[in-house]
Amino acid sequence: MSQQKTAAPKAASETQLVARAQRGEEEAFAALFEMHKRRVYSLCLRMTGNTAEAEDLAQEAFLQLFRKISTFRGESAFSTWLHRLAVNVVLMHLRKKGLQQVSLDEVDSSQDEPVKRDYGDYDRRLMGSVDRISLTRAIAELPPGYRTVFVLHDVEGYEHNEIAEIMKCSVGNSKSQLHKARMKLRDWLRQNEGLMTPDEPVTSDQAPTER
Amino acid sequence: MDDTRRHRTAECDRCELELEAYMEGEARPFVLAHVRECVFCKVVSEDLQALRTAAGELPLEEPSPAVWANVRAQLSAEGTFAEKEGVWSWIWQLDLLRRPVPVAAFACMLVLGCWMTAPRNYPQSEASASLAASGGQPVAVRSMAFVSGGTSLEQVVRELEEAFKAREGSLAPDVKATYENSLSSLDVSIRECNDSLQREPGNSLAHEYLFAAYSQKAEVLSSALDIDEGR
Repeated sequence: MSQQKTAAPKAASETQLVARAQRGEEEAFAALFEMHKRRVYSLCLRMTGNTAEAEDLAQEAFLQLFRKISTFRGESAFSTWLHRLAVNVVLMHLRKKGLQQVSLDEVDSSQDEPVKRDYGDYDRRLMGSVDRISLTRAIAELPPGYRTVFVLHDVEGYEHNEIAEIMKCSVGNSKSQLHKARMKLRDWLRQNEGLMTPDEPVTSDQAPTER
Repeated sequence: MDDTRRHRTAECDRCELELEAYMEGEARPFVLAHVRECVFCKVVSEDLQALRTAAGELPLEEPSPAVWANVRAQLSAEGTFAEKEGVWSWIWQLDLLRRPVPVAAFACMLVLGCWMTAPRNYPQSEASASLAASGGQPVAVRSMAFVSGGTSLEQVVRELEEAFKAREGSLAPDVKATYENSLSSLDVSIRECNDSLQREPGNSLAHEYLFAAYSQKAEVLSSALDIDEGR
């Protein structure tokens, strides 16, 4: 409820800014940039795992947005329009780089290697909450196809049907890739971030409690 | 003996197969039952939930100021920004630019008046000083006075010209012709000043006229960019 109260003035203000930007007012462009720069940049950063590329792509996304702003008629939320545009800019970039991003249905078979799971000797839960830096590093280590689906779904909050549309794959494929991405992340965090101690067995007092 | 040490079972395999759907919120009674029995599958399930939560809570990152600087510069060069209302737009509203001859005469008188009333001992500009130090090589336009941020007026004019060229197609033919006439006469002045400076690099008057011509050109171009299509 409180979110609705704060969202309404923001939306109104954004609508006014868009109208002013459509008239070419530089201050409105600057304000819209300020309003959305962090989300667009973060999206680019997490999808590429590289700050320089992310800045270039964020820049390109905003340029495309501002060049097209006169065509925005408000059928969808401005932020939705912008973020979809940013996703497309990043995907186009990844395709140009030759990464396996065109379609998840055509994903590189090397990405489909089963995620190694060790049962028995040392499986333990990730310790406490996963810290931000470790998770960011782990996401950057994911193969591009997995990374894209994970970022779009778990970080950006897209639904599988939206991802399927963006990635031109099936909903089932999106779900499958997301699951594999999460398993790979878990594996990577256990092995590389010291979140697991491989030789240490799970003892009864460390065993997870019932939910 | 640690009774939590164990090996993967067929039930674990089935649990893994169903875990994906379970994580997507689908009802999977087998998974629920199995994780109550199997600590390892329970750990995996809880880890995946933790990862999902942590991913949704990742803070947003801040881009460097260079991103906006680049976007702004590019949009400015493309003429996306409307010029603010200024003296030139006010003059345009009076239709003065449609009468270039009297306006040009007025501008000349204004420049001449300023020149006659201004003190004669102008401090030598940074560029002129370096020119004199270098033995007076003709650098002409490059000796323009510098404006804030180290950007020369010549550079500003060049950017405005590029933006104008990109948009001149949208101007009404008569408006375009008016601007082209004004810009052409200013280009003649600039050429004359440059010629003078090539012959006599220390000519302070030629520097002043050159600066004035570039300033006027910048204003004319700015006002042209302020004009909407068909106005």
